[in-house]
Order: sequence, then structure tokens, then C-alpha cells
Amino acid sequence: MNDLLIYARAVHFAATMMAAGIVLFDVCVAEPAFRKSPSSLLAATLRRRFAWIAWISLALCVLSGGAWFVLTAASMSGQPLAQICAQDALWTVLSQTDFGNDWFVRLVAACALAGTFVPLLSANGAASPRLKAAAAILAAVLVGSLAFAGHAIGAEGAEGIIHPAADILHLVAAAAWVGSLVPLALLLAATRKDSTSLAVARTATLRFSTLGIVSVATLLVTGIVNTWYLAGSVDALTETDYGRLLVIKIALFFAMVGVAAVNRMRLTPKLVADADAIAAQRARSALCRNATIEAALGTAIIAIVAVLGTLPPGSHANHHAAEGLIPPDAAFQHIHGEDGMADVTIEPGHVGVASAAVHLLNDDLDTLVARQLTLTLTAPAPGSKAVTRSGIVDADGTWHVNGLALAAPGNWTVAVDALLPSGKHLKLTAPIEIDAK
Amino acid sequence: MRKLFPLAIALLAALVSTPALAHAFLDHSDPRVGSTVAAPPHELTLSFTQKLEPAFSGVEVTGPNGSSVGGKAQVSGNTMRVGIKGAGPGAYHVHWHALSVDTHKTQGSFTFTVGGH
Repeated sequence: MNDLLIYARAVHFAATMMAAGIVLFDVCVAEPAFRKSPSSLLAATLRRRFAWIAWISLALCVLSGGAWFVLTAASMSGQPLAQICAQDALWTVLSQTDFGNDWFVRLVAACALAGTFVPLLSANGAASPRLKAAAAILAAVLVGSLAFAGHAIGAEGAEGIIHPAADILHLVAAAAWVGSLVPLALLLAATRKDSTSLAVARTATLRFSTLGIVSVATLLVTGIVNTWYLAGSVDALTETDYGRLLVIKIALFFAMVGVAAVNRMRLTPKLVADADAIAAQRARSALCRNATIEAALGTAIIAIVAVLGTLPPGSHANHHAAEGLIPPDAAFQHIHGEDGMADVTIEPGHVGVASAAVHLLNDDLDTLVARQLTLTLTAPAPGSKAVTRSGIVDADGTWHVNGLALAAPGNWTVAVDALLPSGKHLKLTAPIEIDAK
Repeated sequence: MRKLFPLAIALLAALVSTPALAHAFLDHSDPRVGSTVAAPPHELTLSFTQKLEPAFSGVEVTGPNGSSVGGKAQVSGNTMRVGIKGAGPGAYHVHWHALSVDTHKTQGSFTFTVGGH
């Protein structure tokens, strides 16, 4: 089900970015460019293409949003997917959780935005400035409110305000930039015919340039804020899955900025220069190609973001558990106690003979040294005898217990008793789920 | 540039097999985890690392004789409170389950001891 969730998120983010981006592009770049040139056939053709993209993106946005909502509600309530509609879990999630409330607000925003599409993208471009402003605001709300469905929420204090604020700006800037690339490429491709349409291409490119610079600057600043809160340390960037994916996202971002820099500094001046029409056309064509390349990079970034939201962020407050990758067939439990914590991994986590690895941590997440450690496992059936074995420590400070016989599946109880150098015993007990073979 | 699409898909595929780990961890409780207190507490307070969703978070407290001694859990922000009906000295078992506002579930348990020996 986790896979389905990632696909739903990926489609939803891409569709939202596209729908919001095309509205922002139309209002900030295309319409001003069309005004400068009397060529109404070009404008009408492009508006029609934009309308297609806008409607399809919004439809995908709503459908994938619905899928994301249902999958998340199933996960939150623990209900299997097949039964989710029969229970009132869907209504509880919708009305009583931040995620559900945010989803509903976004659905309303999407419907309102759809309402603006007909006048906004009508062939004769008769939309009033107020309608354009309303459409732009709704587009920003639709994409910005994604912040409330992710990792930016949940913290207390100053972080609880600054982090979502940064994330909202990050999302709107991303939609404005990445979402504009496809309509920009379309506009550049359509303006190859004559000098009047070249004028449209020039104005559009210059306006997009400004939009791009503001977006990149915003993405950089808000990206740093987000990374500060979510990764928490340089180690987390290299040692956690979340961190490693984030590094790739950042690398792709800089690749996009690189292409954008070439566009801004080499190609745009050539396009805008009056002297050489042929060079200008070639620059236009190159810009069109580069915009397509950037759009592809942007899509990869969106795919990564879809996965990132399903992983625990790397920072201390969010990631008490083991830094390493947990094998998919292992059973894992994190146990929090007064004098320390333990991460217990039982591999394989199903009926049979298994080995346990216990990692002791103190409150600062440093490895806790113990003189001795015993592990006690009690089977789920009432009245079962507890089995206690001693552990052997390895060079990393992780304790290992081998040859554990797990006879039945269910909710076992695992207890860790570690003798600390101070002479105190660290005793931690927790349930651990063992699967059937 | 065409290579980026399969790379992105490969990244997705490689990572979807990772089980999603928990987000709202128990930061501290009152009475403290594993502690011994002189008299039965009137209330158990659990503080978590993230804000919780009240609709899907709760706690069960079992007294020394195995009966349930906890009332209805009150959840606000990142804190969960539950009234305790004192059941004398001995080990009290606490099992909590939490849903963080970022939609991830966690659970855990611990014991604390009341008075006596």
C-alpha cells in the first residue's frame, strides 16, 4: 500500500504544480506578452492549449488527491482498504484531523479554481484583472496548502510557525517555476513564424526570467530553512534514506538552476537583441529545448518529493530510531526508557529461528555502553514462558543475540535488560510484531 | 536527460520497500518511564515529539492486578493525559498509540511502579 501512496502523491504533486503553474504563467507571463502584440490568432491558439493542460491537470489533481486521501485514511485508522468506505473512518479523518481538514480546503480551492478557467482561458482573452488575480490566488492556495499535508507541520513553538510558512512559499515558488516550463516551451515553439510572434516570445521570456529569478531565490532560502528543520545535521544527510534522497533533490535543483543560468545569461540576450533575426530565432529554439530539459528535471524532483513525505525526516526530534536501513523482512521496535533507549531489530521478523540486534542509545542519540545485556522474549499466548538469552557486543557497540526460536506469529513481548557502567540496570519492555512464515 | 526518468522510477522502486518508520515518539512521561513513585498518581501525562491527532491517539493503563485503571485519554497538542484510578502498590503497565499530525502512527509501552518494596 505504501507504493500506491507514493504513486498517488507523485501524480498529485505533478498535477497540482502543473495546474497552479499554468495559471500563474498565464496571468504573469503569457497575457502581458499577448497584450504587446496584436496577433490574436497566436494568443487564441495558445490559450486553447493552456486550457487543455489546465483542465486535465486539475482533473488529475482531484482524482489523485482522492486516492491519496483514501489511502492515508486507511493507514491512519488501521482499516484495510477494502473496508474503508463502510466504516466512518473516512468521515473522522476528514473532519477531525489536520490532514483531512487540509484536504477538504484544497478540494474547495480546486473547484473554485476550475470556476475561473472558462473566463480566464477563453480564446479572446477577455478576463478582467480581478478574475486573473483571483485565479492566481486560488492557484497559490491550492499548491501552498500542500504544506499542511507533509512534514512541515507537527512541531511546537517557533518551528511550528516558521517551518510551514517556509514550506508554503517553497511550494508556490516551485509551482510558479516548474509549472511554467511546459507552457513556456509551448509558447516558444508556437512563436517561430514571424517577427510579430517573435516579439511575443521576447516579452514572455523576459517576464518569465523575472519570475524564474524570484522563484529560485525563494526556493533557495526556504529550502535551507526546510532542510535545517528536517535534516537536523550533516550526518543525517548522508546516513538516512531521507537525507540521501534530499541530497539528490538538491543536486537536481542546482542542475535546473544551471540550465536557467544559461537561458538567462546567454540565450535571452540573443533573443532580445534586435540586430540579428536569425540568431534570435535560434536562441528562441534553444530556449524552448532548454525549458523542456528543465521540465524533465523538475519532474524528477517531484517524484523524489513524493517519496520523501513517506520517510521519517532525519532530524533528532523525528528520528530517534536506527539510522541504518531496516531490512524489509525484519521486525523492529524502538523502546524509550528513563535512562536510555533501545532499537531492537529481529531478523527475519517471522516464525522460525531469528537473530536480534539491540542498539542502546542515550538521550543525545549517542551509543550507550553497557557491561552486559540480556534479551527476554515472551510469546503472544497467555502463560507463555519467557526465554532469556545473553547478548554479545560487537565493535560498533551493537548487541547480538542469535538462535532465537520464534514458534508462533503475533504480538511478542521483548524486554532488554542492560547493566550500565554506573551499576544501574536499564530495563526496557515493548511489544514487537512477529509475522507468520 | 532522457535517463533521468528511469532513474527517478528506479529510485522510487528501490525505496518503496522500506517500511515507514514512526514519527511521534514518546519524549517523556510523568510518572517517568521505569520509575518508582511513592503513591499512586492521579494522572498520567505523556509528552510526544510531535503534535498528535486526538481522534486516533490513546493510551491503556493496566494496574498491578491486570485490570484497566486508566480513564479516557485527553489529547491536546503533543500531550496525552489520562486519569488513573489508584489500584494500590505494584507495577502499572502503560500502552500508548499515537497518530502524529503528519499521518504516521506509532505505539509503545512502558511500566512504572507504585510504592511498596
